[in-house]
Amino acid sequence: MAVPAAELRSKVVASRGGAAGLRHVLGPDYRMGYIFVAPIALCVLSLVAYPFCYAIYLSMTHKLVGMPPIFVGFENYIRLTWDGFFQRAVVNSFVFTFGSVIFKLGLGVLMALVLTSNIRWRSFWTGVLLIPWVAPTVVSALNFLWMFDGSLGVLNYLLVRVFRILPQGVGWLSEPGTAMASVVAVNVWRGFPFFGISFLAGMKAIPAELYEAAAVDGASKLQRFRHVTLPGIKNIMIIVVLLSTIWTFNDFQIVYILTKGGPGGTTMVMPVFTYETAFGAQRLGEAIAVALYLLPALAVTIMVLARYMRKGRRR
Amino acid sequence: MKRRRSATLETTLSYALLVVLAIAVLFPFYWMIVTSFKNETQMRSIVSMFWPRPFAIENYQLLLAKTEFASWYGNSVFVAVSSTLVATGVGTVGAYALARLKFFGRGFMASATLITYLVPPSILFIPLYKQMQGLGMANSLAGLIAAYPSFTVPFVTWLLMGYFESIPEELEEAAMIDGATRFGAFYRIVLPLSAPGVLAAGLYAFTQAWNEFLYALVFITDGRLRTLPVGLASFITGDVYGWGYLMSGAVLTTLPVIAAYIYLQKYMVEGLTAGSVKG
Repeated sequence: MAVPAAELRSKVVASRGGAAGLRHVLGPDYRMGYIFVAPIALCVLSLVAYPFCYAIYLSMTHKLVGMPPIFVGFENYIRLTWDGFFQRAVVNSFVFTFGSVIFKLGLGVLMALVLTSNIRWRSFWTGVLLIPWVAPTVVSALNFLWMFDGSLGVLNYLLVRVFRILPQGVGWLSEPGTAMASVVAVNVWRGFPFFGISFLAGMKAIPAELYEAAAVDGASKLQRFRHVTLPGIKNIMIIVVLLSTIWTFNDFQIVYILTKGGPGGTTMVMPVFTYETAFGAQRLGEAIAVALYLLPALAVTIMVLARYMRKGRRR
Repeated sequence: MKRRRSATLETTLSYALLVVLAIAVLFPFYWMIVTSFKNETQMRSIVSMFWPRPFAIENYQLLLAKTEFASWYGNSVFVAVSSTLVATGVGTVGAYALARLKFFGRGFMASATLITYLVPPSILFIPLYKQMQGLGMANSLAGLIAAYPSFTVPFVTWLLMGYFESIPEELEEAAMIDGATRFGAFYRIVLPLSAPGVLAAGLYAFTQAWNEFLYALVFITDGRLRTLPVGLASFITGDVYGWGYLMSGAVLTTLPVIAAYIYLQKYMVEGLTAGSVKG
């Protein structure tokens, strides 16, 4: 395939002459390539690369709103390390992220298995189950805020009056014991369809012969799942789990709307802590240090994930 | 005989799980709609809990007459449509170049775009805010339109790269043998063939911009200039929540996304699988 393409291009190059030298150095399509890529490059540089570098600089300053920044090196990072509120936010972020991702993974596998089984109206069901993923997250968070309401919320109504499981209502988001579980539940509700739909695509791509061969060899249903399905979707699983880990760790809106980090800091996760430090306490430099504190871990995750995503494409 | 029975059992189990999942997924939306049609008395009492009797439309009237909801709607439409057009245009040509054209630096740009897509907004929102402030665009819709490509463009580009790579290269080669230029092959052959993919990518970009919360919360300080997500969330900062009109606002905010989704569901599922996480 590559050979005729190359021949063709060399013909085109030869027929036009002129800039053949540059073509040789920069590649046959360099002119159109650079024109087409220039807008993306501008976006990446001005909206991500520059702000990112600026963030690193600001995190090494004392920057109060309305004042010029004063360079202080790693002072913000060092102070944060021993700050009890920050430490709690780090722990909460990990609990929130891993709690959410594990349940999303489980429900996602379940959803994909159900949707690949012998059912009618498959695309209808798929469409229904994907709704949380497309609906505006703020709307979903507000819906749950209303359903979790301690006095008028429907969840307590169902549990106490209709099903009589609980003797009295629970302040789901206002009690330290249930707040974290509640925000995790909302994040799982919103995120599991993405896991499900990705695994579904992966399962569909597994050749039917593999299952038939396994069945002929006497493999049970469970063995086929373990030895055919799971290895078949392994790469997708790694990609989806890493993607979701990054997204969940940096999720701001669900926690911000449901609890703002309360009660008593029990759901204070790092993005909300960043926001509060920046716009509540007005300490911008320190706020960015919060956001960048785990940058090495984030960078490693992104590199690994990017490799897997590019590898997945090249097949 | 035994196999058939276990197959029936499996199907029954599948349907049972489907129904449970579907109820869990749909109940919040059902509850949102029911709440939006209840008046204050119905809300406080426990009568007509699961179905509003009578249907009250006063929440919607209140929302449109007494709050700034209508202008937030306009703002959201303006910001989401503008940034979608920018992202789709920039992303389409960029993705084609990265997927097909041979030039020095292509691999680097492809990696940079992907990594950009993975950098979370929680790192970027403060410096971007300072940047927009410096440009005098902090408290304006223009600032949001300028900032949203930071996530829509890399996403659309990455999605469409996969799409373009799945179109056989021979089609362009044939067109070029017949005398088409490289650009002609892109414009006349590849672009029409990828219309569904471009449409799906654009729709994604639209929902992402429509749903965006953090930048809009931070950048916009003027109440009238809010977008819908921030406007809706601002209803809960007061002491009295007013769940009725909040939920009617939530219904109206969800409608365009769901309508677009129903229409393009097939493309979205395909786009999602062919584009974002193929492998």
